[in-house]
Amino acid sequence: MVKLTIDGVPITAPKGTLVIEAARQAGIMIPHFCYHPKLKWDANCRMCLVEIERVPKLQTSCSTPVAEGMVVRTATTAVTQAHKSVLEFILANHPLDCPVCDQGGRCDLQDFSHEYTPTTSRFIEVKRIFPKEYFSALIETQMNRCVQCLRCVRYCDEVMDVKALAPAGRGTMTEIKHFTHHELDCEFCGGCVQICPVGAITSRLSMYEYRPWMLKRADTICTYCGDGCQITIQTKENKLIEVNTAHGAGRNNGDLCARGFFGYHASTHPDRLQHPLVRRNGELVQATWEEALGFVAETCIRLKMEHGAEAFAGLIASRCTNEDLYVFQKFMRLAIGTNRIDSSARYGQINGVRALRRVQGTHRWAVTFEDIVAADALLLVGTNITETNPITGLKVKEAVKKRTATLLTVDALVPAVGTISNIANLAAHHFPVHPDRFGHVVLGLIKAVVEDGLVDQALAHRAPAYVQAIGDAVQALSWPALESATGTTSGALREAARIFARAARGVVLVGQGVLRSPGGYGLTTNLLDLLLLTGQHGRPGCGLAPLAEENNDQGAVEMGTVAEYLPGPCDLNDPTARERIAGLWKEELPKGPGRTLTETLEEARTGKVKAMFVVGENPVGSLPHAARAKDALAQLELLVCQELFLTETAALAHVVLPACSYAEKDGSFTNTEGLVQPVRRAIEPIGESRPDWEILSALSVLMGYPIEYGDAKEILKEIRSLIPGYGLLGAGPNPPRPDEAVVSRYLREGYAEDLANRYAATQPTEKRTGHFTLLVTQSLFHSGKFSTRSTGLLEIQNTGVLGLNPADAARLGVTDGDRVRVSNTLGELTAPIKLLERIPEGLAVFPEHFDEEARRLLGVSTDPQTRVPYCKSAQVVIEKL
Amino acid sequence: MPSYEPILTKNMLTPGYTGSLVDYERAGGYQALRKVLGKIAPDDVTAMVIKSGLRGRGGAGFPTGVKWGFLPKDYTGPRYLCCNADESEPGTFKDRQLIERDPHQMLEGMAITCYAIGAETAYIYIRGEFVLGAKILEKALAEARAAGYIGRNILGTGINIEMWLHRGAGAYICGEETALLESLEGKRGLPRVKPPFPATHGLYNKPTVVNNVETLANLPYIVNRGPEWFASIGSPPKSTGTRIFCVSGHVKRPGNYEVPMGITCRELIFEHAGGMRSDKPLKAIIPGGASAAFFTDQHLDVKLDFESVAQAGSMLGSGGVTIMEEGTSMVWAALRLMEFFYHESCGKCTPCREGTSWLVQTMRRIWTRRGRLEDLETLTDLCQNIAGRTVCAFGDAAIAPITSTLKHWRHEYEELIRTAEAAGSAELVMPATRH
Amino acid sequence: MAKSLKSWLKTITFYEILVGMKATLKHLLHYKPITLQYPHEKRTLPDSYRGMLALLRYDDGTEKCVGCDLCEAACPSRVIKVVSAEVPGEPTKRYAKEYYMDMTRCLFCGLCVDACPVDALGMTREYEWAVYDKRQLYLNKQQLLAIGDRSFPVREKKLELQHLNVAFFNVAFKHLPPKEG
Repeated sequence: MVKLTIDGVPITAPKGTLVIEAARQAGIMIPHFCYHPKLKWDANCRMCLVEIERVPKLQTSCSTPVAEGMVVRTATTAVTQAHKSVLEFILANHPLDCPVCDQGGRCDLQDFSHEYTPTTSRFIEVKRIFPKEYFSALIETQMNRCVQCLRCVRYCDEVMDVKALAPAGRGTMTEIKHFTHHELDCEFCGGCVQICPVGAITSRLSMYEYRPWMLKRADTICTYCGDGCQITIQTKENKLIEVNTAHGAGRNNGDLCARGFFGYHASTHPDRLQHPLVRRNGELVQATWEEALGFVAETCIRLKMEHGAEAFAGLIASRCTNEDLYVFQKFMRLAIGTNRIDSSARYGQINGVRALRRVQGTHRWAVTFEDIVAADALLLVGTNITETNPITGLKVKEAVKKRTATLLTVDALVPAVGTISNIANLAAHHFPVHPDRFGHVVLGLIKAVVEDGLVDQALAHRAPAYVQAIGDAVQALSWPALESATGTTSGALREAARIFARAARGVVLVGQGVLRSPGGYGLTTNLLDLLLLTGQHGRPGCGLAPLAEENNDQGAVEMGTVAEYLPGPCDLNDPTARERIAGLWKEELPKGPGRTLTETLEEARTGKVKAMFVVGENPVGSLPHAARAKDALAQLELLVCQELFLTETAALAHVVLPACSYAEKDGSFTNTEGLVQPVRRAIEPIGESRPDWEILSALSVLMGYPIEYGDAKEILKEIRSLIPGYGLLGAGPNPPRPDEAVVSRYLREGYAEDLANRYAATQPTEKRTGHFTLLVTQSLFHSGKFSTRSTGLLEIQNTGVLGLNPADAARLGVTDGDRVRVSNTLGELTAPIKLLERIPEGLAVFPEHFDEEARRLLGVSTDPQTRVPYCKSAQVVIEKL
Repeated sequence: MPSYEPILTKNMLTPGYTGSLVDYERAGGYQALRKVLGKIAPDDVTAMVIKSGLRGRGGAGFPTGVKWGFLPKDYTGPRYLCCNADESEPGTFKDRQLIERDPHQMLEGMAITCYAIGAETAYIYIRGEFVLGAKILEKALAEARAAGYIGRNILGTGINIEMWLHRGAGAYICGEETALLESLEGKRGLPRVKPPFPATHGLYNKPTVVNNVETLANLPYIVNRGPEWFASIGSPPKSTGTRIFCVSGHVKRPGNYEVPMGITCRELIFEHAGGMRSDKPLKAIIPGGASAAFFTDQHLDVKLDFESVAQAGSMLGSGGVTIMEEGTSMVWAALRLMEFFYHESCGKCTPCREGTSWLVQTMRRIWTRRGRLEDLETLTDLCQNIAGRTVCAFGDAAIAPITSTLKHWRHEYEELIRTAEAAGSAELVMPATRH
Repeated sequence: MAKSLKSWLKTITFYEILVGMKATLKHLLHYKPITLQYPHEKRTLPDSYRGMLALLRYDDGTEKCVGCDLCEAACPSRVIKVVSAEVPGEPTKRYAKEYYMDMTRCLFCGLCVDACPVDALGMTREYEWAVYDKRQLYLNKQQLLAIGDRSFPVREKKLELQHLNVAFFNVAFKHLPPKEG
């Protein structure tokens, strides 16, 4: 710690703190433009000049670290004169168009001008004018207003690693441009808009629609991925105006991605359901709430009498709040009396949770975002993290770029410079393997750990049988086989294993490429084995982190809306948990079995299930045609959908009830790292829509099992009584420690049951020549189908474009924008293509958000252990059209 | 006319000297390198240079040996030497001649420096416009490499020194050492904030020495003939050795003159450069390139060494001496220089970026007879506001022409303004606005 | 003696009563009515009279208002509501798409006129705005412009052409695509 005095105030600050930061902590604001705590200082605006005793010239406080005994003065005549003069210079060329500038009212330059300058200017020359160029459909630039602080450029490079912006020109004619001649093509994270101290870069989406002082704020959580970024929705007269986030707020710490920043209009899309719909004579017609709910309650009671409670099943989207999820499962369990509940966590998240529970006895990460940033070695398996979980991706970027962590990546994509960032570019070792061979790389790493004597000594001592068994298993694998399967050398694998094993803090991030692919559960367990063997398991700051795709995947599991769990999550058949929950609910729990999504659909098809409640989930639209979800749901006698839009599933329903989006309700989301964060209402519900829990609550009353709550907080209170400590606790998560009893049990016997299976290097099916592997994946600019209703995101990406490697495209004789036919035995689709160097040869990538056609091509298989439906890839032939 | 023994220009003044390796070796070249490599400890070389009193010839005049000494002693990673051949100062053209006519002299100096500071890689950052110089240097580098003076295992001593030539892209600011490093790294040529200094965080964040061509060219002679000999030339103790002055402007024989430091302006102009071109009285002298403040005829007897010039209110800078005769408009001269600085301001920091554009517009207005008396006040004020508040020394340099002409020839400005007022054209000026 | 004579004279001439009646008698002679026979007679308004608000136009007929909302912010009684947007067909140019004034609340303080950066608001000398239905006092942009048109026949030159050094103000860029939605 260093002691110094700023304006007579004695301050203690850690060594290396900049004077400007130290002053801020002491409550002294030094005016600045170019400085931002997130960025490396550049000291170009010269606004933050201060006087330091025994230094002859004024110093920029943003570039001067504190020193022992330093005496700083920020308000002397010389300093004020310097502020004045710098502002005079900046204002010389700054246009006086504050009245039409969207930044007006929250502009640093305006504020400082009011504070430091006289109202008249001595500048009587001609102002500099840049010719206006079209920048992009979402980001507007007005370079005449630019003060050349280069914050946007530095943010784009240092934080986002996108490098889309650059200063061009020299001297006073310096302007911010992007590199290409066509319009801006980047990640559209909106960082430049947020970080611009003046109105030079503004959002075109909300251009001229507001003045900052008119806006009503609601701090809530973004719903577009599992990262759980805190966003501030700004509304004006019940209209969504813009979204932003403050530095230091939430887990994202002021960063957002395109989805969070530009995707907010989806909630107020004109297609939103505004009234309940009831099917009459085969047509869905508008009805009142009383009619619709009455009909549902009546039919439910009738069907329950006729077929019993086991003829009901429920499905809920994990985009709903914890409160919705909780009330849903309580409604299904008590009012209906069935355990046939599942949620979209089944699509992949359950693989991660089950593996964690099996090996370490927790259902959450044992690490936090801070641990990712502080890690020394990061292993990313099967995740295109910058697209699927952009903010977790930023933590990885920060770890690598600012803290020089070593990054190891295993993914299908290859390093290439593109318009959006690519985490493989930062990797020390990247293993570009075909998506069905991630497991081989992991096996190779484990083999290297075992063979090179990197096994943790404590573990070898504690569980010799386990180490021996795994050692034997990997001995059975041959290096040549692994090398040919992964296309890499044993040397590279050994080097990577060595880096990971020797790291002081190792974190493994596992993404959708593993969790949603065949063998995902086994591979996740293997990764935990890797952590155990290298001694990276159980240490603080080390662990496995499965990345959730949907914003409340984690909550869906914890609220017990998956087939195998009760709230907690507790195992469905755990007698003590059942007793405890029954005691709290004052009601017997149903004894029937849980049924997963795929099983439920099968039962609906065979007629065993007669009625289904589907809340926000769209199995017809998410599962491939091969899963025949549509046929199954068409068999039902009652299908009730609570939806925002008339989706493919809702179109089959007998009753469609309009639900509120996240912007219209209160509640909480649990993010991928297990932090429960508050969701707050920003606008009034659209039309007659109501929050899901309210609908269910009303139904329960009509059915004679009242489950009533005053508001969302009351539900959270009840959840907390069930799951102690659940809820909004602090700004960061308090990660659970692995349960040593569970770990010991796993090391003793738990590992053995499927060891042979997990450690078998199945010879991957050789690809037939001329065939491509079609991957249906998440794009950076969309999330599920919800975001495809957002004006802003549609500006960036509005159709499904097939990504292809340029070499493949050349072989097919096609180029950017050409249409191709993609086909296999199941079906075909035609789509325009885009050449992307990061896609390896032999792979074709299609966004899942526009997959109406693509879903025809996909087959579906189910995980034998976790019953996760795998349906994201297919073998296809691509032809030029 | 007193004649002095030339040092740096001695070879090139020899008739028939082509600057090739053969010629250079014949003139005793690369002997210093042989003398130093492996025989004198690097620290002793540095001590020798400190003792010689050699100061940087690029502009700032920092003692070269001291600069080398700032490199961290215990740092084991790579170190770099950068030769600053980005000579862009208006009125300066000495490095160009040193490069084009005797490149090996500089290369030998660089090799000695690399040895002294422990660098294995050296970069020559040459001004983009020096196409011929770059070609000659490429050739010289190839010759030296072939002869084993650079490359791996030099002269069998086991020492590796690799040298690379990098051509600039035409920015004046890249002559500033940190901007040069940025540019060399492939970034936009913008100066860095100092501290940290290049000695600790230079090229690729490694310890780096940046030296001017002329500075480096002096080294073989210091080694060969001893630091005492070098220190005896010029005006010891502070300004030793010779200096190449690039005399331009209204003189009879403009050109490069290598003379010992400390001769007077009068001697340089009237004895070496042949006096005033049309024998009109002398009006102004710029003693050290465009960034130095103007001298008047009162300063003719100022000694041209670092201290005397600084004491007289200007700087010796890069050695570009520009002479103006009676009848030259000083407003015009200042405007012309201001236009250069406006064009070359990199735009990184506010005072320089906006200040130069403002100054040049006001100067143009005054020159085109649309000035007002308040403008002089504004000019002075703006110059004060730029001085000392910029990232690099460019800001201080850019205001020198205006402050010095305003100091010595304010009446010329006033005259132009009076003409403007008489013609009523000052009214054409746009009114000040409120903000 | 003289004193008593004086007081006697005052008594017989009712001097005190005359003094008391002085003002009354004066008015009797120089009669000037205070009450105006409104609406047949109207008062001359002072120069700084603050009457009905109006929106103004430039000499080429374009609206001055740039929709900056500053009047709305300045108004102490929330009279004004501005909905700003991009001018259709003229990208990046801002204007007030809708502009409402609820004159029932207005207290004619003139702060909006002061706040306007482009002098788009003016206070006319109109005051005869009694209506049978209060709703008629909720004026929209067209009505306000009409008031301006009839009250300010002399219009200002367009802002962009006033000074070169503020030339760059609310300029449209025809080569850009307009904002969506």
